[in-house]
Amino acid sequence: MRKLGFIGGAFVATALATAPAAAQGFDWKSQSGQTINLMFNNHPWSQAMREMVKDFQAKTGIEARIEIFNEEQYRARLTTLMQGKSPDVDVFMTLTSREGAIFNRAGWYADLAAMMKDKAKTAPDYDYEDFGASIRTASTFGDKVVAVPINQEGPLFYWRKDVFEKCKIAEPKALEDIVPAAAAIKACDASITPWTGRGIRSVTPYAMAGFIFNAGGSFATPDGKPGLSQPNSVKGLEIYATLMRDYAPPGALNHTFTQVTQLIGQGKAAMTHEASNEFANIMKFPGRAEDLGIKVLPPGKESGISKPVAIGWGITISANSRKQQAAWLFAQWATSREVQAKLVTAGVAPPRASVFKGADFDAWVKEQPVRKAWAEALVELGKTGIGVYQSPTDDVPKARDIIGGAMQEIVQGKATALEAAKAADAELAKLQ
Amino acid sequence: MATVNLRRSYRWMAIPALAFAAAMIVYPFGFAVWLALADVQLGQDPKFAGLANFRKMFADGEFWNGLRLTFFLYVVSLAAQLVLGTWLGLLLARSQWARGIVRPILISPFMLPPVVVGMMAIVILDPSFGIANWLLEKIGLPPGLWLSDPATVMWTVAGLDTWQWTPFVALIVMGGYLALPTDVYDAAEIDGATSWQRLRYITLPLLAPTLITAAVLRSVDILRFFDIIYLTTQGGPGISSTTLNILAYRRGFEFFELGYASAVMVTLATIVLGTVLVFARLRRAVAW
Repeated sequence: MRKLGFIGGAFVATALATAPAAAQGFDWKSQSGQTINLMFNNHPWSQAMREMVKDFQAKTGIEARIEIFNEEQYRARLTTLMQGKSPDVDVFMTLTSREGAIFNRAGWYADLAAMMKDKAKTAPDYDYEDFGASIRTASTFGDKVVAVPINQEGPLFYWRKDVFEKCKIAEPKALEDIVPAAAAIKACDASITPWTGRGIRSVTPYAMAGFIFNAGGSFATPDGKPGLSQPNSVKGLEIYATLMRDYAPPGALNHTFTQVTQLIGQGKAAMTHEASNEFANIMKFPGRAEDLGIKVLPPGKESGISKPVAIGWGITISANSRKQQAAWLFAQWATSREVQAKLVTAGVAPPRASVFKGADFDAWVKEQPVRKAWAEALVELGKTGIGVYQSPTDDVPKARDIIGGAMQEIVQGKATALEAAKAADAELAKLQ
Repeated sequence: MATVNLRRSYRWMAIPALAFAAAMIVYPFGFAVWLALADVQLGQDPKFAGLANFRKMFADGEFWNGLRLTFFLYVVSLAAQLVLGTWLGLLLARSQWARGIVRPILISPFMLPPVVVGMMAIVILDPSFGIANWLLEKIGLPPGLWLSDPATVMWTVAGLDTWQWTPFVALIVMGGYLALPTDVYDAAEIDGATSWQRLRYITLPLLAPTLITAAVLRSVDILRFFDIIYLTTQGGPGISSTTLNILAYRRGFEFFELGYASAVMVTLATIVLGTVLVFARLRRAVAW
């Protein structure tokens, strides 16, 4: 009862506090003097945000304190704070394709749809419809919008054009061409590792799913059961595992995007299938802007299918935040056209159609052929990308861990692709 | 009368310390036990579920794998650190010259934060580009996979812990040795005892309480060893370095199974407590 009383009191206080603003319409300075806490995962977007946040402070008068953690630590801290119903975090990054269902069920997200409808709280030129429909759908549960998109990304196929040319190997046009290309590079140039890729269980499906889709496979059977052991899924699984076992550097099963980016960036690996948002980090290495080719993973030769993974990080407001209006101002500013146009130069692919098609982005892309290739691949991701890459379940992190584990079993020689896939399907069925 | 009042006031003075212990130790541990006995869904209050989490844990192959790896790490690391630490400690204790020079160097490994040790291990032990394999190659030895092979990963992790903490044991042993009574050695020398006999029948028995203290300190640390494994392998390849700590962390924070993770941690805490009690009893038995 006391709790209800407190909530009621807080509601009345909030209503009174926002009443003048409602009467006056939207004002960026309406929350001036507030301080909000932002918690981000380490990502090109958050790194850029650290530099840009002073613009937000100048525009709104709100002080924004940023904390950035590596992904694992980020999730651990977020879980602890949110489970403890702490109001200490106001805005946090979220990957709704991964944890959206679980966090939404837990009630951790504030409803942004309600804020968007309120003209006193939302800038008139915000235009939520400007974000792609698939991106918006990924952050919508029922009528509730749980996050606003900050980027779009997916794994892309990066290959060293100069190495291919030196070894007289044709650019892979089909999925099935990648393993023979790796074999040819291994025979041609011992100084470079033919392939680098993600090997840690939980992060592998992001890079491996395209192999399964393009081979004609799927993570689910037509009746919604786990489908990793379907013939074409096994084929895709086997191609990825072969690359990791026979053509990746020793120890690749402990690698994630950080090692992959280093290896491809330093010129020590000839091919990879890694996140589009690592583009900016890879381009920091000398020479890569000139010798790297980028495109979506080639389609399956027999299936003709090209179905890349496409996801997007978003920012959301904690349901426990006591400064939701100030937090919403930050979310609006950070996902505005103006800010997303600036973020492009940090290699953050804009999820807003108007920015993607805008003159600034176009001019930046035209500066280098490799940027053009990257942008074209992103367009392709937007058109054909899919955000679901595990069998149907709400327990997405566990499902992806099981799928990645199957790949590891093959690489370690503990099981054939079919055996590993069947065992994984049995485990995945328990999550349904 | 004055003595009684004094005793009473002493009791009152202990209350802040007791309250602090209750708030900082008893409450968190009690809460972890409660979570271990509860069905914990994110965003909801835990609901009592009896021993369901423990039943699930005992039926889980990953738990038994984690328990095996935790004990492997414990036995290998502790044995290596005690043997090497004792040898190094005695060596230093007998040479004042070496003590002055080596002691500051010895302190440095365990002064390093685990994150630094982990990053150093990643760089040095990388199978393709690490300096360890480069050195092996230079002296004509085959390269190792170190942290990347399920067969060698736990040996490598034990090696890292041994590298970092053997000097700590050595310093404890050195301190203990320097405090030993010298007349026993004088008597042994008169009786014609060899250096091996002095070590076997005088030094080691007299050092036993010191060694047990070192063993207790290292036991607690090794059993809750987490950071370097998480930094270097995240429990991989596969689950070949998923000790109980790593298992609990992953289940709790990656898969949001907080009840299960708490059950694993309560089990591990019980093991740690049991180990400490065994050593405490042992220490009383060898006291002189």
